[in-house]
Amino acid sequence: MSKKKINALKGTVGLSRRSLVAYLFLLPSLTGLIVFRIFPIIYTFIGSLFNVDYYKGGTSFVGFENYLNVLKDPIFWHSLKVTLIFNLVVNPVQITIALILAVLLNGSNRSIRIIRTLFLLPLGVSVTIASTIWNILLNPNEGLINSFLNFFGIPSQPFLTSPSQALWCIVLVASWCGIPYWMMFLLAGLQDIPVEYYEAAKIDGATNWQSFWYITLPLLKRALTFVVVADTTANFLLFAPVFILTRGGPQWSTNLLMYETYSNAFVYSDYPRALTLTSILLLMTLVIVLLELRVLQKEES
Amino acid sequence: MNKVLVKITKYVVLFVFGVFVIIPFFWTLVSSFKPMNAILKDIAPFSLKTFVPIPFTLDSYEQLFSGGFMKSVFFSILVGILTIIAGILINSTAGFAFAKFRFPGKKIIFMIVLISFLIPFEAIAVPLFIIVRWLNLLNTLGALILPMIANGLCVFLFYQFFKNIPTDLMEAAIIDGASWWRIYWQIFLPLSKPAVVSASLLLFLSQWQSFLWPLVSVQSQNMRMVQVAIAYLTINERTTLLHVLLAAAVMSSVIPLLVIFPLQRYYIRGFVTSGMKG
Repeated sequence: MSKKKINALKGTVGLSRRSLVAYLFLLPSLTGLIVFRIFPIIYTFIGSLFNVDYYKGGTSFVGFENYLNVLKDPIFWHSLKVTLIFNLVVNPVQITIALILAVLLNGSNRSIRIIRTLFLLPLGVSVTIASTIWNILLNPNEGLINSFLNFFGIPSQPFLTSPSQALWCIVLVASWCGIPYWMMFLLAGLQDIPVEYYEAAKIDGATNWQSFWYITLPLLKRALTFVVVADTTANFLLFAPVFILTRGGPQWSTNLLMYETYSNAFVYSDYPRALTLTSILLLMTLVIVLLELRVLQKEES
Repeated sequence: MNKVLVKITKYVVLFVFGVFVIIPFFWTLVSSFKPMNAILKDIAPFSLKTFVPIPFTLDSYEQLFSGGFMKSVFFSILVGILTIIAGILINSTAGFAFAKFRFPGKKIIFMIVLISFLIPFEAIAVPLFIIVRWLNLLNTLGALILPMIANGLCVFLFYQFFKNIPTDLMEAAIIDGASWWRIYWQIFLPLSKPAVVSASLLLFLSQWQSFLWPLVSVQSQNMRMVQVAIAYLTINERTTLLHVLLAAAVMSSVIPLLVIFPLQRYYIRGFVTSGMKG
């Protein structure tokens, strides 16, 4: 071994000892992340290429056969349609209302502060609990909402029991817990914008609308991008309300892809199909998130 | 004049959404203190009585405390605490490594951490189930805790916090011959109290609110997490009394609120902002 090499090795001995310490500090968390987060994703794509072999037992490689079967299945197309309609409505609704509320609540006077605290209350309410509460409220015969409608002379509605209304009820439940949650993120973003900017704009004679458009929106970009992306992923993967309120019905009208995936895996134990659906869901969410990022970044330039 | 109009519009909008957000919660709270027949009687016709807890009774809470639901509440708290202890330890050490060490592969490993917290749990429920079954962990406490302790967002929180602690302290300790473990354990961890609080909140709430994973990974009634318990109460509507169900909804929302409200600052400043910057 040449002297140079030995010296080089010596040089790295000190470094690698320190590196070794770093790896040891990283090891437990990194193992957890790889085993329970990264590997499942890889496994989804690999597993979707295999199917149960009834002759030999176990599983065998089938290529894209699972995907072809899914694409031939009308239930899949129906679920996809329901998922897309649901997301086209629920995401803009939640984000717009959350943004309006955040702007209105971004003051520092006392009454605003009190209202702001009230809006934090739903943070304790999970989607599961929200579904439980709205299941009672939306009961067609003895629910509070129908009683409220009757009070104004509007006849009782079937809500969750109607194929044409059930999906909108899921939108309602998801928004009820989603809006305050995303509003909190936007409010945190708004509070990072220095008040001086608005004061300066006011002196220059800017209207409220102008300062919203030219100060608030550009400076809120980071928070808004985060909320748009996180909200979209959450809604594409929404599960609890469908499980608790409708089980995908009536007449498949609320059979979101996430619920279809769940029932394939945990009701019918058809894991290859469930993994195929998971990978489609993952890819679809990824594509939509990338599109959103593209649009939001374009506006910047 | 225009200014007044803007102000009025503002408060009308806030009022409408305030009603939408608060009323369902308020009605649930009030009704949980009423006997079942009174709740049903007061729903229709709609009147002020709908929102007044008269006749007042604690019957629903008595039934709740004597039934199995409280067991789920305590079990969820236990799972939450165990997750906090393990999670703080392993995520803070990882954050320490990223903040104060240079080592080969750092960028790639950091990418893995960032990617991991962009993936929601629901997305990987099916493959994770298969993996946990391989590991023979289904129906154990390990199935509930192990997948939840390594948390990319917590690593990131600690990384950001440790990064801002000056290196002089560390250099001095190295010269004194302190081991890396001691530097982490006796200097860095005690200094990072705000990050510890934020990360603990994050870990606790992630366990308290989790639903799909405990639903599929654990079948035993003795290990039923709180959200799963309330879902089963809702689904078995015919055998669950309405006022007990409402009381269960109140109980399971009040506990996270009791944690969030005093620690609001950490909740928002901690992981909300670091989540957005990540």
